[in-house]
Amino acid sequence: MTGLLTLDAVRFGYDPERPVLEDISFAVQHGEVVAVVGRNGAGKSTMLRLLNGLLRPDAGRLTIAGRDSADLKVSEIAAHIGTVFQAPEQQIFNATVRSEIGFGPAQQGLAPREQAARIDEAVARTGLEGVLDTHPLDLDAAMRRFVAVASVIACRPDLMLLDEAQRGLDATRRATLGGIIADWKASGRAIVLVCHDMDFVAAHADRVLGLAAGRLAVDAPVRDFFADAAATRAVSVEQPGIVALAQALGQPVALSASELVTGLAPRLKGGA
Amino acid sequence: MALINVSGLSFAYESTPVLQNVNLSVAPGEKLAILGGNGSGKSTLAQWIAGWLPRGSYAANAGEVTVEGQPWAELDAATRAGAVQFVGQVPMQQLSGFSFTVRDEIAFGPGNLALPEAKIRARVDAAVEICNLGHLLDRDPFSLSGGEQQRLSIAAALAMQPRALVLDEPTGNFDPESREALLAQLEKLPGALAIVWCDVTLGAPLSVAERVLLLDGGRIAYDGDVAGLLTHPRTAEIFGLPAVAQTALMLRERGLWPAEAPISMDVGRVASALRPMLESAR
Amino acid sequence: MAVARPQGADHALLYVPGRSFLHRLNPLTKLTLVLWCAVAAFALPPEGTIPLALLSILIGSFAGAGRVFARRLALTLLPLSVALFVVHGMLVDHAGARASLLGLDLSREGLAYMVRILGRIAALLSGSLLFVCTTHPSRLLKALDAHRFSPGAAYVIASPLLLLEPFTQRAKAIREAQMARGLDLEGSFMTRVKAFPALLMPLVTLALADIDHRAQVLDGRGFRAMPHRTVLDAPADSRQQRAVRWAVLVSIPVLIAGGVLWHL
Ligand SMILES: Nc1ncnc2c1ncn2[C@@H]1O[C@H](COP(=O)(O)OP(=O)(O)OP(=O)(O)O)[C@@H](O)[C@H]1O
Ligand SMILES: [Mg+2]
Repeated sequence: MTGLLTLDAVRFGYDPERPVLEDISFAVQHGEVVAVVGRNGAGKSTMLRLLNGLLRPDAGRLTIAGRDSADLKVSEIAAHIGTVFQAPEQQIFNATVRSEIGFGPAQQGLAPREQAARIDEAVARTGLEGVLDTHPLDLDAAMRRFVAVASVIACRPDLMLLDEAQRGLDATRRATLGGIIADWKASGRAIVLVCHDMDFVAAHADRVLGLAAGRLAVDAPVRDFFADAAATRAVSVEQPGIVALAQALGQPVALSASELVTGLAPRLKGGA
Repeated sequence: MALINVSGLSFAYESTPVLQNVNLSVAPGEKLAILGGNGSGKSTLAQWIAGWLPRGSYAANAGEVTVEGQPWAELDAATRAGAVQFVGQVPMQQLSGFSFTVRDEIAFGPGNLALPEAKIRARVDAAVEICNLGHLLDRDPFSLSGGEQQRLSIAAALAMQPRALVLDEPTGNFDPESREALLAQLEKLPGALAIVWCDVTLGAPLSVAERVLLLDGGRIAYDGDVAGLLTHPRTAEIFGLPAVAQTALMLRERGLWPAEAPISMDVGRVASALRPMLESAR
Repeated sequence: MAVARPQGADHALLYVPGRSFLHRLNPLTKLTLVLWCAVAAFALPPEGTIPLALLSILIGSFAGAGRVFARRLALTLLPLSVALFVVHGMLVDHAGARASLLGLDLSREGLAYMVRILGRIAALLSGSLLFVCTTHPSRLLKALDAHRFSPGAAYVIASPLLLLEPFTQRAKAIREAQMARGLDLEGSFMTRVKAFPALLMPLVTLALADIDHRAQVLDGRGFRAMPHRTVLDAPADSRQQRAVRWAVLVSIPVLIAGGVLWHL
């Protein structure tokens, strides 16, 4: 497996005197879903902006698809990395959903038919069929989020960055987003998602990066992370309910209801 | 008298109806959650309750909203601002644009009411405490992180000391710790503050609310207590059941759940329901 | 790199942080002085405007915003003087006496005209530039509020400075979103020029929507609910400054009258 993205001792501060992130090193592989967790202001969104080139490290190296990102323009990085920002309201700038989704493919210089195909695919994936001619900012917040997601899908980058993209979604929309994440992973591409919702992390991530006091306090497979109370405490997150339940019943960490049921059933009276 | 009363409200942005014959009232000090799926009309209803609608070309097709018996339009600006504060969904869009520090942003509203300086400072301090913003007072509101900005928008509303606070997904960007801290602080607030909390999740709003409305397709599908909402036929479909409750349901399907125990989303309750069923440890 | 460094609270678009005596002056005092400069720029002859401009440049460079101020001023004034020189000194055909400078044959009247215009612009520009470089918009607002200007009037006076901020922020957000989806905005000058229309349309619509939304936020927070506002930490004022302001204001009609007489 080739590293899609590598960070090596990266440091950054809005005020270089006071770094927000320091000595950050990790790599993201193809087919991986990585969750970034940490308190408000821990530097999660800042880290995503370093990955997509909108911010540049004060020190350290960032390698994208084998190339030093210092040599790449943001627009070149965009071929590899697509971002759903924390506030889609700040990222949307076209007058219709269709043109918003089509912006990326148009920049890639694709043939018109290919562009149209990309839009269709992204729209089908996000369920935006009915609103293509609407102004994106006239949609409800959840739909706006999906416009942002669709505009990334249409660019077909290797790595998708999601900043709190799950927040405020109802069950149906969560399932849609979950499906997008699963398919993305299955096709060998990668996702880095910033998320405060540990249920969502448990359900969708393979690995957790935890930020605390500007440093990478945790880099662990999701199961190990939730099993380790010291690690969750270090980055001020709570265990997902399902993990807490499994532990309360003396079971190993379970990340989903069916996993817990499978493990638990043989131990329950009448459930051999 | 009801603090806020919505009667027979029907509304459409263009042609698609968003709210249909909505009736509700909020008593002084009442803690109300309005829950619903995406597109169910929560944010729109929240804006009506808070007096942000009607505006411009948007008007009600039927019905009206009153505050202490008076229609919004008949209240003067100071009364409106002191009656209800609205915290919208997008933190950045809640900023006044007048303030270059967090402190000034919180002081902006009380300053508009021309309160004496000492009073304003006291209000700022209280709001800062509730929203845990002490370390950010001199920062530029526009350069805060998502969660910090959301905390600021709540603080700015609280500093107005309204009689009702209307919140639209107010903790979407909060980390779990800040969310718990805010919930604990809201508990401590003087009981006279009514809260209308609109959201798509069952978690945080239910720990504040005494009463819940379920909004479904622009209509009120349920109006009652929290327990009733959890067993409402649409609840699982709209909000999804937390994995803990799912576990209980799956076990029940297999006949592995104690008949007398209610299905719950609470870890402690589910665990204690199951403990007696565990084969004694070998 | 086209990546803007974000900022702390001290930041404002044109403001240069500092603690000079100009920074500490009450914004209203500075505002009156700017007003005086503006009137003087039109009322005074070049013999007046040029020293005035030189004076503000001197104060600005040494006691105000220093190098940033000087650079901004030079960046606006130099191209302008060259253009004026070329147009009025060489291109426009003025009758009458000629002058010779650096081997160029120039029109005397054209040159005089150029000096007059340039003197006006320099006086006006250096004064106002000095004001925005040393006055944070929030200080101006606070000073206006503290002097019981009505919130509406204060808003109108400060709005050019206040609106600049969200406007540039919007522009930045749009540019970032565009770059993040593959539009090259870091390339040559020409690529950027070509990308400008892609920025302009959304900027105008979104900035208008922002203003609309902001109006609602302001209403919600009781803006203009009272005839005046209370502010925290208003800029210091003093009896001397008040006296200066009155003196300056009173001298303005005198200045205008003098200007009219001089032109007769
Ligand atoms: N433009 C900026 N200028 C100065 N400081 C900033 C800027 N943006 C963010 N910060 C600060 O940097 C720190 C990290 O911010 P960041 O947005 O990365 O946090 P985050 O982990 O995404 O938080 P949240 O969970 O609230 O979204 C915070 O203290 C924040 O206030
Ligand atoms: Mg963030």
